[in-house]
Amino acid sequence: MSLTSVDPASSEKRSDEPLLRVENLTKYFPIRSGILLQREVARVHAVEDVSFSIHPGETVGLVGESGCGKSTTARLVTRLLDPTSGKITFEGRDITKTSQRELRPVRRDMQIIFQDPYASLNPRQTIGQIVGAPFRIHKTEGDTKKKVQDLMERTGLNPEHYNRYPHEFSGGQRQRIGVARALALRPKLIVCDEPVSALDVSIQAQILNLLEDLQDEFNLTYLFISHDLGVVRHVSDRIAVMYLGRVVEVAGADELYENPKHPYTAALLSAVPKEHSDTSISERIVLQGDVPSPVDPPSGCSFHPRCPKARAVMGKSVQLTSEQAEGGQVSLEEAAARTAARDGDDRSVDLSQEVPENCRKEIPPLGEVQKEHFTACWYPLEEGEKLQQAAKA
Amino acid sequence: MAEPLLEVRDLKVHFPTDDGVVKAVDGTSFRLEPGETLGVVGESGSGKSVTFLTVMGLIDRKSARVEGEVIFDGRNLLALPEDEMRHVRGNKIGMVFQDPMTSLHPYYRVGSQIAEAIRTHRDVNKSDAQKQAIEMLRRVGMPRPEDRAKAYPHEFSGGMRQRAMIAMGLALNPSLLIADEPTTALDVTVQAQILDLIRRLQQEFNVGVVLITHDLGVVADVSKKVMVMYGGKAVEMGTRDEIFRQPLHPYTWGLLESIPTVDKRVERLVPIKGAPPSLINRPNGCSFHPRCPHRFEPCDQDIPELKDRGGGHPDACHLSIEDKRRLWDEREQQRARAAS
Repeated sequence: MSLTSVDPASSEKRSDEPLLRVENLTKYFPIRSGILLQREVARVHAVEDVSFSIHPGETVGLVGESGCGKSTTARLVTRLLDPTSGKITFEGRDITKTSQRELRPVRRDMQIIFQDPYASLNPRQTIGQIVGAPFRIHKTEGDTKKKVQDLMERTGLNPEHYNRYPHEFSGGQRQRIGVARALALRPKLIVCDEPVSALDVSIQAQILNLLEDLQDEFNLTYLFISHDLGVVRHVSDRIAVMYLGRVVEVAGADELYENPKHPYTAALLSAVPKEHSDTSISERIVLQGDVPSPVDPPSGCSFHPRCPKARAVMGKSVQLTSEQAEGGQVSLEEAAARTAARDGDDRSVDLSQEVPENCRKEIPPLGEVQKEHFTACWYPLEEGEKLQQAAKA
Repeated sequence: MAEPLLEVRDLKVHFPTDDGVVKAVDGTSFRLEPGETLGVVGESGSGKSVTFLTVMGLIDRKSARVEGEVIFDGRNLLALPEDEMRHVRGNKIGMVFQDPMTSLHPYYRVGSQIAEAIRTHRDVNKSDAQKQAIEMLRRVGMPRPEDRAKAYPHEFSGGMRQRAMIAMGLALNPSLLIADEPTTALDVTVQAQILDLIRRLQQEFNVGVVLITHDLGVVADVSKKVMVMYGGKAVEMGTRDEIFRQPLHPYTWGLLESIPTVDKRVERLVPIKGAPPSLINRPNGCSFHPRCPHRFEPCDQDIPELKDRGGGHPDACHLSIEDKRRLWDEREQQRARAAS
């Protein structure tokens, strides 16, 4: 299965070449054991068969919970990690296997902003040195100091602080330094990996606005990675939702939030605590258990052990909790065992009666269910369909 | 009026350092009724955690100057000797912290840790304590609690660890549970599970809950009553509806406007200008005034008290109630325009 047949980005409306195209990108991290031989005993399936493309000037958001592979994807497309398989095309050029030396000119056009502004700046270098480093590495002409100060000014920093060290700045200012450094060589694509997650809410908005202004000014393209669904909606034109290393849904930002097709997306959105939430609490879909281990992902659709929709299709109750068990519906042991089985830590319990066979056995392809709306689900949600709410005690 | 569960009066916690005195908490007062849920919101450095660490007696009194009163169960906790405080902590006041991995001991089985907490305060034998621990794990929705009680913390996922922490916090049936950022380290779907659990247990145990968080959404989700903190002080306090629908303090306005929501997309976020104040050289007057777009004469002179200024709930801002209503309406209209 792949996206090559139906690429979500290759609609007729956008005839221009994508700036970045990722096809069937896969990354496994080996788990080794033993002292001498270091045999590979298992693999972490960090990113599996991910395809998407980003067009010039566009912001594509990548959301998902921790461990879903979004940061690994960021590191793969910037070639900070080597993919196990798949293809990365940047400006029409295949950079999947390019050597680090040959990559250098590409890196001018492709920059990354990291989450932790404390860890991503060298504490022994001044701001001038940090922001000026790209100029030195790429041996650009002209007055570096002036260029750096110009960048500092554009990113809302005081150019007089040229000789200060990172510890003299607040978190928000440090993130501005990270933005200035990424911007130095006028890149085309900036990968933002959780750029505001470490910041206080009042500072978050400042950085988000800065990123938007810079996008307009320099016609930047962003791959924006975040676990914060509100932030992603705010910045993105299109959004890809990841679960256990795979992209499960791709759509325009408003479309995705208003009309999610994948049960996981719907559950994720409903889980976000909201203001005035008396009504939304009752509509909340509380998923059971945790995300399964990427070392041994479930067969078929990797969401099937937790999927409320798959159970609804079979006419089964969405959850069997200990409270329900106390109500006499099932035995306490059975409820616990089923929850454990869904968590992925007890494979002996047979869940086959709860979930349709194709969910368990076949990986659903990422297919177009509506114009420019793609989802990888055998039973995508209808428009306005409410998932059966988990029964409350 | 009935006796409040917890009453804090003019609490000040100052840490003398080489650079000057860090005024982490600088005059906070509030009360909490039995069985009530109070959400405490604020950014880092607003004093929200230090306030409640002080309530629990977990601030090292050698390195901090603590003033004011913390009345719990009719006694001033700040005046209690450490051995009596230890009896209150864990027994009468349960605690849940942000990072369950660092608050559980990695070398001991989870069940034994909960049993130990029970045995510290109750005269029960080991096997009864273990049974109670398992029962608590069951009540917090732990699957197969008998097996899980024998597991070590590293064998648990983040959500499971937080459930174990909550089980420990509630094991002795305290009348107050203080949860400091209990879901911050968790993913949203797991966060939803934990918030559900806290809401359910709050009713089941009829326990007063203080939920400390930086996330307004989490507060709205769980608490009926909300306290907004800024620069070591409570700046506004009211019911959830009052804080979210008729907020009176410009800092609360700023918080509500600067957060992108999943419900709708605004054209542009309205950030709060500047950065949070230094806790050493606090601005004169209202500590929010350097960032406040509505400041006027008294703001950099007089410290506004937290009191009901005719707005229906207490706030600490010098603006007149008419101005506040007008300004908030204007900002709401602007937001509505921006969203359309």
